[in-house]
Amino acid sequence: MRSSISFVLDGKVVTEDFSKPSVTPTTTVLNYLRSLPTHKGAKEGCAEGDCGACTVVLGELDAGNTIRYKAVDSCLVFLPMIHGKQLITVENLKTEAALHPVQQAMVDTGGSQCGYCTPGIVMSLFALYKNHDHPDRNVIDDALTGNLCRCTGYKPIVEAAARSCIHQGIDSSSNDEIRIAGLLQSIPRHSALIQTSNHTYFQPRTLLEALTLKHQHPKAIIIGGSTDVALRVTKNHEQLRQLLDVSLVDELHTIRNHSESLSIGSGVVLNEVWSAVEADFPALADMFAVFGSLQIRNLATLGGNIGSASPIGDTLSALIPYNARVVLERVSGRREVELDQFVTGYRKTVRKPDELIVEIILPKPKQRSVVKWYKVSKRKDLDISTVSAGFRIDINDTNQIQNAMLVYGGMAERVKRSSSAEAFLQGKPWTRETIEATMPLIDNDFNPISDARGSKEFRRIVARNLLLKFWDDTRKETNGAAA
Amino acid sequence: MPPHKSHNKPVKQAVPHESASKHVTGEAVYVDDILVNRQLLVGRVVYSPHAHARIKSFDLSAARCVPGVHAVLSYKDIPGHNQMGPVVKDEVCLAENEVVCVGQAMFLIAAETEDQAREAERLIRIEYEHLPTILTIDEAIAQNSFLGPSRTMQRGNPDQELQKAQHRIKGELRTGAQEHWYLESQVCLCILGEGREMNVFSSTQHPSETQALIAEVLGIPKNEVVVEIRRMGGAFGGKETQANHTACWTALLCNATRRPVKIRLFRDDDMKMTGKRHRFLSRYEVGFDDEGNLLAATFELNSDGGCAADLSFAILERAMLHADNAYYIPNVSVLARVCKTNLPSNTAFRGFGGPQGMALIEHVIDRVARFLHQDPLEIRHKNFYGIDSRNVTHYGETVEHNRLHIIYEQLVASSEYDERRKAIAAFNNSSEFLKKGMALTPVKFGISFTTTFLNQAGALVNIYKDGTILVNHGGTEMGQGLHTKMQQVAAAEFGVNLDKVKVNATNTSKVPNTSATAASAGADLNGMAVKNAVDTLKSRIAESLAQYWSEQNPDTSTAQHSVHFENDSIVDIEHPARRISFADAMPLMNLRQVSLSATGFYKTPDIGWDKTKGWGKPFHYYAFGMACTEVLVDTLTGHHTILRTDILHDVGDSLNPQIDLGQVEGGYIQGNGWVTTEEIKWDDKGNLLTHSPDTYKIPSVQDIPKDFRVHLLQNVPNPDTIRRSKAVAEPPFMLALSTWLAIKDAVSAVANHAFEPSFSLPATNEVIVLATEDLKKRMRENPPGEAPTQ
Ligand SMILES: Cc1cc2nc3c(=O)[nH]c(=O)nc-3n(C[C@H](O)[C@H](O)[C@H](O)COP(=O)(O)OP(=O)(O)OC[C@H]3O[C@@H](n4cnc5c(N)ncnc54)[C@H](O)[C@@H]3O)c2cc1C
Ligand code: FES
Ligand code: FES
Repeated sequence: MRSSISFVLDGKVVTEDFSKPSVTPTTTVLNYLRSLPTHKGAKEGCAEGDCGACTVVLGELDAGNTIRYKAVDSCLVFLPMIHGKQLITVENLKTEAALHPVQQAMVDTGGSQCGYCTPGIVMSLFALYKNHDHPDRNVIDDALTGNLCRCTGYKPIVEAAARSCIHQGIDSSSNDEIRIAGLLQSIPRHSALIQTSNHTYFQPRTLLEALTLKHQHPKAIIIGGSTDVALRVTKNHEQLRQLLDVSLVDELHTIRNHSESLSIGSGVVLNEVWSAVEADFPALADMFAVFGSLQIRNLATLGGNIGSASPIGDTLSALIPYNARVVLERVSGRREVELDQFVTGYRKTVRKPDELIVEIILPKPKQRSVVKWYKVSKRKDLDISTVSAGFRIDINDTNQIQNAMLVYGGMAERVKRSSSAEAFLQGKPWTRETIEATMPLIDNDFNPISDARGSKEFRRIVARNLLLKFWDDTRKETNGAAA
Repeated sequence: MPPHKSHNKPVKQAVPHESASKHVTGEAVYVDDILVNRQLLVGRVVYSPHAHARIKSFDLSAARCVPGVHAVLSYKDIPGHNQMGPVVKDEVCLAENEVVCVGQAMFLIAAETEDQAREAERLIRIEYEHLPTILTIDEAIAQNSFLGPSRTMQRGNPDQELQKAQHRIKGELRTGAQEHWYLESQVCLCILGEGREMNVFSSTQHPSETQALIAEVLGIPKNEVVVEIRRMGGAFGGKETQANHTACWTALLCNATRRPVKIRLFRDDDMKMTGKRHRFLSRYEVGFDDEGNLLAATFELNSDGGCAADLSFAILERAMLHADNAYYIPNVSVLARVCKTNLPSNTAFRGFGGPQGMALIEHVIDRVARFLHQDPLEIRHKNFYGIDSRNVTHYGETVEHNRLHIIYEQLVASSEYDERRKAIAAFNNSSEFLKKGMALTPVKFGISFTTTFLNQAGALVNIYKDGTILVNHGGTEMGQGLHTKMQQVAAAEFGVNLDKVKVNATNTSKVPNTSATAASAGADLNGMAVKNAVDTLKSRIAESLAQYWSEQNPDTSTAQHSVHFENDSIVDIEHPARRISFADAMPLMNLRQVSLSATGFYKTPDIGWDKTKGWGKPFHYYAFGMACTEVLVDTLTGHHTILRTDILHDVGDSLNPQIDLGQVEGGYIQGNGWVTTEEIKWDDKGNLLTHSPDTYKIPSVQDIPKDFRVHLLQNVPNPDTIRRSKAVAEPPFMLALSTWLAIKDAVSAVANHAFEPSFSLPATNEVIVLATEDLKKRMRENPPGEAPTQ
């Protein structure tokens, strides 16, 4: 059993055995870096994944032993989670001879003013540089959404991205990549147990081990991508004593495409889920397009979003209309639950303490189904839903609604369907009159709250309006075009 | 690494920010990055959880026993004055018997680790008696709760002229608070020197005031305190006075523990504890004729000052001075008051009251236009200050070098305003839920501190024997590029390459008694002070070189005035063979016993302002600009997209076009945040609900205009300023009012502009959706045709 972690930093393997009290298993990568005299580049702007000032790039080996680069918010990553990875910071990009192309472009365009956001922005640009050639504006915007800048107005930064990301990812570090890959391969990958005076941190490698640990320690907090759990440390300053990090469990990272369905491992990060669902599940793609930021989607897992069972969990309101099912497993066996039945209350689910979410099964939609997903939030991107809605209608040849599913987030203590409205729609023609008659019924099913994101009244109006918008958006795709 | 490209013409060039290559490599050092030895303690501020309460008792004994905790301080442990008010002495450093807002500092803790400090905090016992609170402007007005007396300004006889006007409109406007959201939260590091010496590294816009207040709380003379700031990670006014707080607390802990201490406010604490842009409740009545000529107006401005004065009165004054924006109104009165509430004291924020004043008049014009069924742009144009007549403001200053008309003409053409106005109307006719809107709004912003004596600056310029130059000046660098401009000014004046000049960290022991870097005046004031110091040095050098060359050439002597500084050399232009490189000249100067260090000073001429009368010339000059913004609004969800923005802004002869464009773009986007998504909310106990970026939304990269065209007005040198440039930092912020009014225009299209939408600022998606609902309701009740525009 491994009791330390290793990663590559500054071109060398660094091993941390947690013997010093200043570094614990819940020390974030950001705080770790800032404790070093030579890595003060990454900044803390929020400690909650919202500003990107702490952005670093993780290099990970893929199946073919090639390094893949991902920008992440280092304030949300516990140090053990980078075991076996390359940690690349803003200090690593330039050479003796020259700035990195993304750095030089930022200088040339005037992309920094106060400079505090800049190290994070440079790292997002570096990942963009590595992953895209001549990226278009959407790709650039997506790469930078997780980096707030209060000074520049972003224009020169977008320009720097467009100017610099034109060399197919080749840069001065490319020559060193084989050596780094070798270093990463040399890091032993077996399971770990990290024990300190205040923490027990399990890092199993196989599903069986993970299930066994969960059986033995049902109270251990599961960590997928930690974008939710880390906030308990960075924001609430809780001591998390027992943690079960499932991020190294290979079985949870598979995506299987069957003819009738798609199965997605609970540990697959959302950005990869997005690519997998794009073709068959357009409403999910729409959802991922406005889910957090790239840095968040590179960390957050599907199992984690479902597992947190938040009333504004965006995957929930988008997956339920597709009749998704959750596969739960424990040592003694596995079971499938309709996602619609999975969440029972505010952050409450039917999952037993010794169960893990292992997989999400998505049946491929039938021809006649129209599914759409909407999110209303104060800011369009990198914001939590004030109200979200996933709608599905099945319409027959005579423009009659055979089936309707209206799922709302942000309207109740959990993601919840509007059953009165659904019942009313059954058998009705898909027309504006029907919609207008349905809109008031939505009110019956919800008693939303007023909070920082919006008033109760606003939520009610928007919930109704979204149905009208759904009708307006879909009428051209259905028989109801004449309405 | 390549050095800067060679810049032989240091000014008017788009040279990069002097720290750009340090920013992009992570080498730029901010206060939190300074390496300190292992003795460093973490400072923590314990603040009030109540908006208004009497402190019946407190007990720090358990907290003081926590291992690793080196100090737990209350007001009783302050050696000097328990006071941090910058203007009015109404802000205690640590609460005594009463707390007046959530977030007010009560106790200070220094510990070896943050966990220990938090543990100590948990063990502090406090007993409170709750007192009644005032949490809104409305409550404050109802209960007569004001900070100081009201202020008035008047010209003509508005009451009488209002009665005579063909049309009159009355109403009110609410504009919201705004959080600075500098990326770097408030931070200070204090390190003891010997004896009472206190070395302070503070992220402050006003090092001299930070120095003064630390001296006062510690009860030591100012010459024992040195405040230094290399750069801030953003400030925007939020570190003009309120950086002092963190600095005083840190100094107290450092003094008490005799160890280095750092306080960096955690983001949520920073947002809860520090002041914001003042929210305003403004009321107005305006009279105008059929053509839309404004004849008379009365304005009442009520700002929410929070629990203490801070800079609220200066901010209020600037709001009053900008309630005209770009418009000549013959008869005006402005009544203005600062409400006292149980919220953290509100403070400076880019624009400093200007945005609130301008929002009001732009709102009024927009209403007048809708009332008259005219394009608001026509009403604006009609009421612009004239060039030779109708050019005196309501406080008596003549609008000189008026650029409104030329900007208007150029921008209306380049933005294709008329064609797009038609296209928008056509789009709106065929689209039920998606609506487009557009607005073109001007900015006229007065440059100078309205507290006249603050318009002064100092500099200290040293030349070393290798010919390198070190510039110290009183301004601070917060991203606005001040140091870059100062480097350019010094290099241009000395005729040397930029890489010969370095600008030092701002340090109170180098340049004393400075004003805050604020009011957009940083480059204007410090640039002149630097030039003044450079001039002194040049004349000393020229005098000595003239003597030297004359000694060498007894028959053809060199006159001092023929000695010129150019191309990294010093030359006698009458005898061009007498040329010496700048670097070679300096050892010679040293040999000849010439002092190569000089101070510079500047005070703005020709301004004067009688605050009590509300009359005079408060501003050295005005900066002008205009923006035309087009938006697409989804009236069902309230989401908006900025389709296109055209900006034309006046910075005189730009010292650095890249930096100035960056200020214009950044200011406009920051302003867009204020007018759209940045909403501050408190609960009914005075707790800030939007205390992190999770709920407080500043613009992201996806919120900027899809098509973003920004230009500087060309060929408009500004007389009597450093290299004929103009200040830039604040004015572009207010260009964002075009976005706000474009959104309103789109919403108004829901009812075909027949009704005045109920609107406030910011236009959040909630405001948009509720306004749309309300318009639909009014349309149902009042079918178009019969509807008055009211
Ligand atoms: C800046 C920011 C932006 C965000 N934006 C959005 C957004 O737009 N929409 C949205 O919906 N959410 C958003 N979130 C919330 C968050 O990203 C999600 O909840 C995320 O998907 C959680 O996944 P994770 O893998 O990081 O979970 P973790 O933090 O690792 O875990 C979350 C919870 O799920 C449980 N869990 C994790 N894996 C499993 C498993 N295999 N089996 C059982 N339980 C498990 C954990 O025990 C924990 O309770 C945002 C968060 C941040 C910080
Ligand atoms: S510090 Fe803001 S995202 Fe990490
Ligand atoms: S440059 Fe200041 S926050 Fe981006």
